[in-house]
Amino acid sequence: MVVARISPHRRTRGVVAVVGLTCLALTAAGCSKRATPAAGGSATGKTAAQVKVALVPGGPHPYFQPWKGAGVQAKTDFGLGETTFNETSGWDQTKQNDVIKSLAAQGYNAFGIFGVSPDNINSTFTDLEKQGFQVASLASCPAGNKNAAAFCLSTDVESAAYKAAKAAIEAMGGKGNLVHLTGNKVDSNTQRRIVGVQKAVDEAGGKVVLVQTITDIDVDLQSAQKAVADLLAARGKDVQGIVTTAYNPAVAAAAGVKQAGLSTKVVAIDDDKTILAGISDGSVSATVTQNPVGQGYVGSYVLMKLSTGCTMKQPGLVVDSGSFVVTKANVATYDTQRQARTTELKKAFDTDYLSCG
Amino acid sequence: MPDTTTSTASQAEPEAPAPAPVDQRRRGLPWWANPRVGLVAVVVALVAIFSGLRPSFLDVDLTLVPMQADITVFVVVGLAQLAVLSLGHMNLAVPRMAALSAFAAGFTYDKLHAPLVVGLLAALLVGTLVGALAGGIITWTGVNSFVVTLALDFGLLGLVALLYSWFTSGVAFSLHPDGMDALRSDTFNDYCAGPICGPPVPLVVPIAVVALVVVGVLFRFSRLGREILMCGSNARAALLSGIPVSRRVIQAHALSGLLCGLAGWLLAINNGAFSASVGENFLLPSFLAPVLGGTLLAGGAVSVVGTLLGAILNSVIQKGLNLLQFEVDQLQIYIGVVLLVALSLDRVRHVLADRRGVRP
Repeated sequence: MVVARISPHRRTRGVVAVVGLTCLALTAAGCSKRATPAAGGSATGKTAAQVKVALVPGGPHPYFQPWKGAGVQAKTDFGLGETTFNETSGWDQTKQNDVIKSLAAQGYNAFGIFGVSPDNINSTFTDLEKQGFQVASLASCPAGNKNAAAFCLSTDVESAAYKAAKAAIEAMGGKGNLVHLTGNKVDSNTQRRIVGVQKAVDEAGGKVVLVQTITDIDVDLQSAQKAVADLLAARGKDVQGIVTTAYNPAVAAAAGVKQAGLSTKVVAIDDDKTILAGISDGSVSATVTQNPVGQGYVGSYVLMKLSTGCTMKQPGLVVDSGSFVVTKANVATYDTQRQARTTELKKAFDTDYLSCG
Repeated sequence: MPDTTTSTASQAEPEAPAPAPVDQRRRGLPWWANPRVGLVAVVVALVAIFSGLRPSFLDVDLTLVPMQADITVFVVVGLAQLAVLSLGHMNLAVPRMAALSAFAAGFTYDKLHAPLVVGLLAALLVGTLVGALAGGIITWTGVNSFVVTLALDFGLLGLVALLYSWFTSGVAFSLHPDGMDALRSDTFNDYCAGPICGPPVPLVVPIAVVALVVVGVLFRFSRLGREILMCGSNARAALLSGIPVSRRVIQAHALSGLLCGLAGWLLAINNGAFSASVGENFLLPSFLAPVLGGTLLAGGAVSVVGTLLGAILNSVIQKGLNLLQFEVDQLQIYIGVVLLVALSLDRVRHVLADRRGVRP
């Protein structure tokens, strides 16, 4: 038997009226706004031992793994109270906000954050600063021209993509068809990479054609491998160069081209073992490495300095953590160059960017 | 607010063991046999455990306020799915309906400089229209809602990316209309009348409360809601009873779209930007909250309060496990384990109720 109870309209109207009045009462509750005290206490004036740094990437990704060691090293070298690495944000901005607030509730008072969504992350930074925490944007800067964190220490992604595309064009002999493999299209960093590659192609004066930009294949290695296999099957011989500006597509392209035995020139990103092996055996022309260790290590150091009383001379300053083109010529020595850049960065913060009067 | 499962399914006559005594039935169910009570008990137990292990679980500014803001979004997301689960349908386009609606709101703020409420209305309108379109396609083609909404989600994914690339320099609108920042970060506690300040409840919470009440009233008391449930329970019987089933299907999907619009707008407010990534993680939570709360996937029965409790349970688990600082893999395992234990406890309560001859 089907029971459909239909109440009198009067009863419905009564409920709706009560709801309306409750809503009005709720919205009318505020008369004047008061200043709220910061949950994290004062953002400055701590000793190094009172500074607890949390390094929070957007989610699990091989790129961020060096942050773990960098945090531990920073704790030892600078006498920090605590450092932690938390990659449970799962590439979801809401979850990342939740993870950060949970870490704050656990007593962490300085945050090095790779924001999941560069478009939203300034709001998270502003909230944290309002609550008395020190915040650094690491490995990615917020979209637009404003950085609400104390500073941003990241790869200049447009410049890195430009360098990678230049290297690819050079390897192609300055002419031919180029394909760009990259990450999430609705991420503003991807948009910057696309601009960087396009700039290098434009400079080739029409001799190089960017035939395809394949996005959204940095989710995992499988999806990147599938995209590379499809690309090589469809137009392998017509493509003279592949430039990758995301980790998984780089690994997949290096392996895919080598396996297919094509003469396509691949320029990768980052220094996965597969890629470095590819450079050594000549199947990968070059790779553009970044400086995650420097970001985690120097980022933690500067957060400590800010917590102990220093200020940024220019709040929100964007600092390039460096990108390095690695070819067969310097594959054995590039890490020295990267370490030198890290030392240089720390010195630049001490002498140029921080004010510790 | 209606607090019981709303169903038009026949109140199935209990099979053996023997039915409950007539006087007990007349008195209604004992309090502990109500499924919602089981969920409340699980939530209370988890809060006690987590706050015992980590006292910071009860930190107002860093735990309780952000948790309420999250629950606000996920309750509305759950209601969006509930609206079509009432029919026995699914809406796999919840993420992109939310994204498109958030685009509409962002567009009205950024390009038309409209006030906050106008953007909200634009989001609701776009959500409703897309939802109605989904319902219309399902009705006219007779294709399963799973397939139609899946295809729609793919289509909208591309459309949203295109729209952002046409109308913005990147993938988000950067303009914040007046009131957006306050709505995102303030609680009623920030506003005082003399010495009396409001409770530490985010300003967005009443919006979800209104959605809960409206959807609850619709399915519990209105003719439209009851007819939608009848269509979900038995479409043929509903048709033979003179109910315009096609129209009800379209209306239920339009309601789902409207709630997606609200959820997208709320998430954009909470996270601070109207961007293309709004809603991309909505799909699983949209099922989790209503199903945990007792809404049937088969249609014909919904529980609005259960959806609220399901969303609260999910948020409490996430927040508690976050505070315990598990590694990423451990976290996933524990979420699964805690959910299973929570649902098993509910099942134990069900079995006890059955043995005593009372059916929730």
